[in-house]
Amino acid sequence: MSRTVSRGEILGALLKKELIAYSRDKLYLFLTLLTLVFVVGIFWVVPDSVEESITLGVTPPVQTLVDDGIETLRALGATDEQLAELREADLAEGEEGFSVVEFESAEQMAAVIEGTLQAWRTDEGELVLRDREAGEARPADAERVPVDIGIAFPPSFIGDVATGAEGVSVTVYSDAAVPEEIQGAMTSFVREMAYEFAGRELPVEMPDEETIVLGTDRAGDQVSMREKLIPMLAFMMLLIETFAMASLISVEVLQRTVTAVLVTPARVIDFLTAKSIFGTGLALSQGLIVLALIGAFTAQNWWLLLITMLLGAMMFTGVAMIVGAAGKDFMGQLFYAMLFTVPLLIPAFSVLFPGSAAAWVRVLPTFPLLDALVNITIYEAVWADVWRSFALGAAWLVVLFGAGLVILKRKVESL
Amino acid sequence: MTTPAIKVEDLCFSYGDIEAVKNVSFEVQPGEILGFLGPNGAGKSTTIKVLTGQMPPDSGRAEILGMEIGHDNPDIQAQISVCFEEKNLYLNMTALENLDFFASLFGIKDADSMEILRRVGLAERAKDRVHSFSKGMRQRMMISRAFINKPSVLFLDEPTDGLDPVTSAAIRKTIKEEADRGAAVLLTTHDMFEADELSDRVAFINEGEIVALDTAENLKLKYGTRSVRVRLRDGEGVSEEHIALDEGGSSERLAHLAASPDLMTIHTEEATLEAIFIELTGRRLEG
Repeated sequence: MSRTVSRGEILGALLKKELIAYSRDKLYLFLTLLTLVFVVGIFWVVPDSVEESITLGVTPPVQTLVDDGIETLRALGATDEQLAELREADLAEGEEGFSVVEFESAEQMAAVIEGTLQAWRTDEGELVLRDREAGEARPADAERVPVDIGIAFPPSFIGDVATGAEGVSVTVYSDAAVPEEIQGAMTSFVREMAYEFAGRELPVEMPDEETIVLGTDRAGDQVSMREKLIPMLAFMMLLIETFAMASLISVEVLQRTVTAVLVTPARVIDFLTAKSIFGTGLALSQGLIVLALIGAFTAQNWWLLLITMLLGAMMFTGVAMIVGAAGKDFMGQLFYAMLFTVPLLIPAFSVLFPGSAAAWVRVLPTFPLLDALVNITIYEAVWADVWRSFALGAAWLVVLFGAGLVILKRKVESL
Repeated sequence: MTTPAIKVEDLCFSYGDIEAVKNVSFEVQPGEILGFLGPNGAGKSTTIKVLTGQMPPDSGRAEILGMEIGHDNPDIQAQISVCFEEKNLYLNMTALENLDFFASLFGIKDADSMEILRRVGLAERAKDRVHSFSKGMRQRMMISRAFINKPSVLFLDEPTDGLDPVTSAAIRKTIKEEADRGAAVLLTTHDMFEADELSDRVAFINEGEIVALDTAENLKLKYGTRSVRVRLRDGEGVSEEHIALDEGGSSERLAHLAASPDLMTIHTEEATLEAIFIELTGRRLEG
């Protein structure tokens, strides 16, 4: 009995079958739901602010320094007004995001920074030191005070620098984990203090103009871990759907149901088109759900995010086709899935760490899409900022998706 | 003159250096069942794969319903059906979903999937997923799927392989019904009884070549030996005698034995298809 059947009807039938097969795959359905809950949950659990305050240890106590300085300056003929100014300068108060902890001796401070002693601040404001390794109990109603860097002044520091004494030595103690930038900043801080008291020019040239911030000025509004997670969470969702799609393809190939389909009026191109549409739709919809649940969409960026996720979903579908065609069983599929997807996730992880991405990370296919995602969701990028990333991502998409189509086509034709 | 449903001329196909199908030629008329009888690896399944467009032939030509075969030919594929030796069903879908899906690939909107399942005895399990089916039930599913588009040409690759006699008989009955409807059937099997019972004509295929092609009756007449087996009482025991009917004096000897008071039974003996296959190829059908 001869009938005519349109390509649309065949495509519709294949897509319906894909949907049934996906909905019956309990493992991937469970993984999808689990990932969705996990991804959204972890986003809201991670703090959305950045800890920006620095606790600086100082020894001897500021009052000791001031008292000694007043004695010296009075002997040098300083006026009562000048001495009053020095008394009123509450150096221990610190600036915003900057607190000072005073220690009686350099040895105590060094021990706290090193970690052999613990510093605790009681509700009454008293600083208590405890040697926990020696079994000393933590003080009641006290909060731990982490100190990673400290400055040990000579007690006669103010007077020495004011009189222009030679060989004044200040020691900066720093935990090994403190970044070099912070250590450098402390050194500059000490030099500036010396300048304040001595009135001498520092041997450092400073620009006259205001500080120019390159890119979006996030001073006081640094990128939080939560924001950094957005690209990684979206790509994790794409990854799970890649596994699911690869599994659907692999089952179709291994059980040779595709052969049964291809002896009907359905052609190889119909099969590949259905896989492409379903895979892309699946990954895209899950990725968009994640972005929506974590509140990444705005009235301005939604279409840019849509383009980014569409490119990503298609790229991962191409990978799913390669994995699905290559894997001979579940373990084989898992191996190939890891082989292809882990490198694609590296750019998402690199966002979590400070500094620029390494050169080798920048050549990975997903880097331009991640770059676009970061710029759109964190730095409010517009089309002009991200079109180059889209172009590069599209070029990689052609390579990966094309490879997926060719490999899967050859596989099903060889069955 | 009726157009043959299948027409094959000098068809060849090789897997690398191995010639799987060598200059095969045959025709199948509408409503006819042609049995392809041969051992495993003889080239039966490869012939079906080439004819159904799964693999292009190396040389030779073949037509299905007057149309030349080729890869991705929807006009041919709309009118054929294949029952694969491998049970490639969608295991996570129900029996009904499997049939409805394939019906939709043929553009059939009003497929009576339940009626087809009823024919193969699976109506009760229509809404069960196929992964819960036994081997025999899956094979019946394969047959029912092949019927979904009421094909003009039906390719059946070992449709009863490994099944119990009852299921096999049920499947053979449905195949006969399809041929009676007018479908041309190309049936591959290594079961001589199945070929004998179902086929209008039988092709012996060995090492990729058709070594004989005729009706089962004619093959037996042509290659077999007509004989009778006579059993006689012999004192306390029983003796047997085989008489070749084409030899001189056989009629007289048979008449003599028939008149004997010791005669117990007389059985006609005809050559089996397997015996003829062995005579022609030196190989057994099994294995």
